[in-house]
Amino acid sequence: MDGKVEALTFDTQDAPFEGKRSLMEILLDEKYFKWILITPLLLVLLVFMIYPLFYCLFYSFHKYDMVRQPVMVGFSKYRMVLHDSAFWGALGNTIYILVLSIGCELIIGMAVAILFNRKFKGQDITRGFCLLPLLISPLAMSMIWNFMLQYDFGVLNQCLYALGIGKIMWWSPKMAINTIVFISIWQWAPFSIFVLLAGLRGLPRDPFEAASVDGARPLYIFRRLTLPMLSPLIVIIVLLRTMWLIRIFDPLYGTTRGGVNTETLDWMLYRVSFVYFDIGAGSALAVISLYMTILVCAVMFRVLMKSIERTSQNAAM
Amino acid sequence: MKRVIFGLIVFFVLFVFVFPIFWIYITSLKQSQDIFYLSFTKLFYFTPTLDNFHHLFTKTPFFHEILNTSIISVISTVLVMLVSLPAAYSFARFNTGYGHLLFTTISTRMFPAVVAAIPFFVAYKLAGWLDTHIGLILLYVYFNMSFAVFLLYGYFREIPAELENAAMLDGYNRLQVIRKIVFPLIKSGVAITTVFCLVFAWNEFLFAFLFTRTHARTVSVGISAFWGSIEIQWGPMAAGAGLAILPTLVAAWFMQRYIIRGLTFGAVKG
Repeated sequence: MDGKVEALTFDTQDAPFEGKRSLMEILLDEKYFKWILITPLLLVLLVFMIYPLFYCLFYSFHKYDMVRQPVMVGFSKYRMVLHDSAFWGALGNTIYILVLSIGCELIIGMAVAILFNRKFKGQDITRGFCLLPLLISPLAMSMIWNFMLQYDFGVLNQCLYALGIGKIMWWSPKMAINTIVFISIWQWAPFSIFVLLAGLRGLPRDPFEAASVDGARPLYIFRRLTLPMLSPLIVIIVLLRTMWLIRIFDPLYGTTRGGVNTETLDWMLYRVSFVYFDIGAGSALAVISLYMTILVCAVMFRVLMKSIERTSQNAAM
Repeated sequence: MKRVIFGLIVFFVLFVFVFPIFWIYITSLKQSQDIFYLSFTKLFYFTPTLDNFHHLFTKTPFFHEILNTSIISVISTVLVMLVSLPAAYSFARFNTGYGHLLFTTISTRMFPAVVAAIPFFVAYKLAGWLDTHIGLILLYVYFNMSFAVFLLYGYFREIPAELENAAMLDGYNRLQVIRKIVFPLIKSGVAITTVFCLVFAWNEFLFAFLFTRTHARTVSVGISAFWGSIEIQWGPMAAGAGLAILPTLVAAWFMQRYIIRGLTFGAVKG
């Protein structure tokens, strides 16, 4: 260890203004050290964030198809996107998926979390199996669901038929978007379940005992005590899920490929830029979509930072 | 009685989450006429066959794809950790950039990946990096970096600054503090972050789909390719999906204590 530091230390004569301090010591000074540590990150950010951002801003004012020379067209690409009914359809679909999916996930999550919030035999195994969907590739899973929900030979329809309920057209224009929501709920419900379960396990006992001694009914306790105490966690679930769902793409590729009224914002971006090669319109759409999402991101960041402060304080105590 | 009902409900919840995964493996063992058979009996009662796996390894470049995916996820994860470990430490200990820089980092996660894909597609075309490993690796560094920085930031925050200051008073310099005090405490956090980055890179589809064709094609793209122009080859697709998700299933099983913490960026301890 000491030998290595010696080797790295430069002659003090290289830094005459700093008196006795070696260059190594100067570099380890907090003032410089924190920026040295962060330099690689800044480089990656510069290349992978600033470049695409300016590229999109620049080309959103141009007509460009990756082959011919770009032509400056002012705001006409923005006008084109905002007057395109497909844009409003995609926006509507994205919001529909967001609201329905997160709503259902919260309800299912809360119900199952309350169910699991006790000691029972095999609870570790149950948790292990329930968490499996979270890390599976969304693309592979959506293709499997596509297969399982086929009208004729899909396993779900065959079971429904055998039970006498009758087959459901899962991929009809009216139903397809709900089916996609269903797939996303299947994959992400465990997330809500176990976040809320962690919350339930961490609740203080006293107020609940006091309430039940006073004769409060379970539903009343749930509404007046449990829900308010879990609200920070619910906010976290809503924000994180919004962040992920707003960019939903893979489940669409594995199922409808943007057809049957299921186009979302990111799918439209993909279609405009990589199928029609209209880089101008794609960039304009990207800038619009970015403005909307950065808003969500700003709120999310504040809330997340607050909860991280809290957990690190708890750990310090 | 109450316990029986409770057990049944728990079993039902388990069944809902596990059945689709189980069904992948069942389907991968079926012959195509059994897959399309329109009767309830053949759903579970059939003669198992390894034809789909045979097809997978002889008629499609599946092995090549698995190899590509492994190379790309491992190298990109190493790079991500090299970039984000020092950065996260700097954010956590010195509050570098007063939160604004950290916010910028996390907001890359909000930047639509499809949008970033346009400029990079053009740049890669010029550089001749389309359909290469290095191109995809760099994109995955970008893709995973904000997540890794934020998760590690949470872990570094848990180490009290007093501990480090005390060691510095005892004559350690900053590098020694990092090696002897910070690193042993952060080891599990680093391991968890690494596994998450590996899994995310393994599962990533959009960049792989847009930026690779044959040479650097990853396993996600390979699976999606079973949806051809004429028909979907369900059997080989299930076999490929079953093998491709196996590592992530193992990761999920062994990481079960840390998944929730990771996915909430450290805000909730599961």
